[in-house]
Amino acid sequence: MIVGAGPAGMSAAIALAKIGVQPTIIDENAETGGQIYRQPPSSCSNSQSTVATAQARAGLQLRERFQQLADKIEFRRNTKVWGVFQGRRLAVTTSDGWEMIEPERLVLATGAYEFVPPFPGWTIPGVLTPGAAQLMIKSMQVLPGQRVLLTGTGPFLLVVATCLLDAGIEVVGIVEAVSRIETLTSLPGLVHDIRLLRQGWKYLRRLRRAGVPIHTGHVVVAAEGDERVQRVRFAPCNRQWRPDQSRAKSVEVDTLCVGYGFVPRTELAQLAGCQMQWRDKLGGWIPVVDTSLATSERGVWVSGDGGGVAGAAVAEDEGTLAGLAVARDFGAIDEASFQRLRHPIDIRLKKLRRFRHTLDKLSCIRPGLSELAREDTIVCRCEELTRGETDAAIAAGCTTYRTFKVATRLGMGPCQGRMCWPTMARAIALKTGKPIEDSGPTSVRPPIAPVTLGELADREICRGSAAGESNP
Amino acid sequence: MLRMNNPHRNSPVRFFFNDREFEAYEGETVAAALLAAERCVLRKTARRNEPRGLFCGMGVCFDCLVCIDGQPNRQACLTPVTDGMRVELQIGNGNWSEDL
Repeated sequence: MIVGAGPAGMSAAIALAKIGVQPTIIDENAETGGQIYRQPPSSCSNSQSTVATAQARAGLQLRERFQQLADKIEFRRNTKVWGVFQGRRLAVTTSDGWEMIEPERLVLATGAYEFVPPFPGWTIPGVLTPGAAQLMIKSMQVLPGQRVLLTGTGPFLLVVATCLLDAGIEVVGIVEAVSRIETLTSLPGLVHDIRLLRQGWKYLRRLRRAGVPIHTGHVVVAAEGDERVQRVRFAPCNRQWRPDQSRAKSVEVDTLCVGYGFVPRTELAQLAGCQMQWRDKLGGWIPVVDTSLATSERGVWVSGDGGGVAGAAVAEDEGTLAGLAVARDFGAIDEASFQRLRHPIDIRLKKLRRFRHTLDKLSCIRPGLSELAREDTIVCRCEELTRGETDAAIAAGCTTYRTFKVATRLGMGPCQGRMCWPTMARAIALKTGKPIEDSGPTSVRPPIAPVTLGELADREICRGSAAGESNP
Repeated sequence: MLRMNNPHRNSPVRFFFNDREFEAYEGETVAAALLAAERCVLRKTARRNEPRGLFCGMGVCFDCLVCIDGQPNRQACLTPVTDGMRVELQIGNGNWSEDL
């Protein structure tokens, strides 16, 4: 069973189906593709992409390969995993109700979400992630706004800016934290993958031609507005991304997209009991895996961004590798064919990882970001805790997720610490001078997605429970 | 106009936001339909009564919570809009409608 039908999960399913093992792949969305290769709603006949980017083409190719094997893959759409119990027992809900599934082998391909550090005004409506803006356009064909500024770091900003331009939105600028000089001095590391480098160049050219100003070496310091963002202030920053507020500029917008890279979604791996490790450059806490992507838990593999953020190209290869590893475990292929099949993947991954390494070094979150919030800025969006309150908690000795939760309620809202903890962990490390990993990952408890008591109590639609109980 | 030009849209549906009627299209999420209706404030927070809207767009942040057909704390970004649906701005932690 594979959880997540993005590039990693789809590739794992394709690999297994090709070998002759019928995989089941589940996803909370109605369509395959995950966040990156998102499709418009199925009945919507406008399937031709309005934004013919390299990303869209890669998505199309993957989906075609998946479709060709559709009769050998069981795809369960609109199916949400909200818990993992006793090893590999998955609690899932669909529109008909909920059930327990106990797969013998589990591949987690859960992807990532965007990292946004708190800054004054970041909770005002109209401030959203680049991913959310792109999704509105690509999947919903609704414009997120009319005058948009994008800020953060990394190539994804360029991708989304292009997508906004193509949709006819006025992109008033891109504010990128990494300076031009730093990017240029990293170019030697980026030539490891000419194709990806050329793609990046194409985006830049398109933006330049459209006259979109790119403010490198700047960070957004505040968003202003009452019921919708109206103005954004940004300032030049140093190599630690600490802004020089005295040189701040102001620009009128109706939408601000902010994203500083991605954080792996590891809730299911954590619930399954996988051993975790902190890897700053891969987005934070990730499961420990061996060279075949097997976690510390027998029968659980991880692939794609959910095992460490590395982008769609790496995710596809990792998905295939995890699929092959499952097939070997299953006995569908022997060790020799496994080694033979994985060889070309290893070569590609090695190259891609070198490219990523340079990129990750550039986009790695720097301390200045943890200091943008003011005393009265919200840092925990769910529980509405301010920087003042969390600073007081750190001063009082709260330096782990557990103690923070007990003392402040941080992480106890519906997002379960996904939005606030990546920032708080960094802020704590800065204040205490201790390594980030000392504060620990979030503690994950089911349900990780909302389930009503009514849904749980409804026995008629609880299909698999009786069968589930008979298993140890 | 906040909807992109698309001659092949799905069938239109009518829904309500705070008792005002709006048009949307099948397959759109509540968040998308409200964005197109230029309604970007989806809830007011419990502690500081501050407006919040769509943020992550993929069901992770729980900032787009609205009240749908009397049921509070529904994620606007994940819930498909349906014909006749009654959506309301959520105040604080929300209240269940007594009719349910």
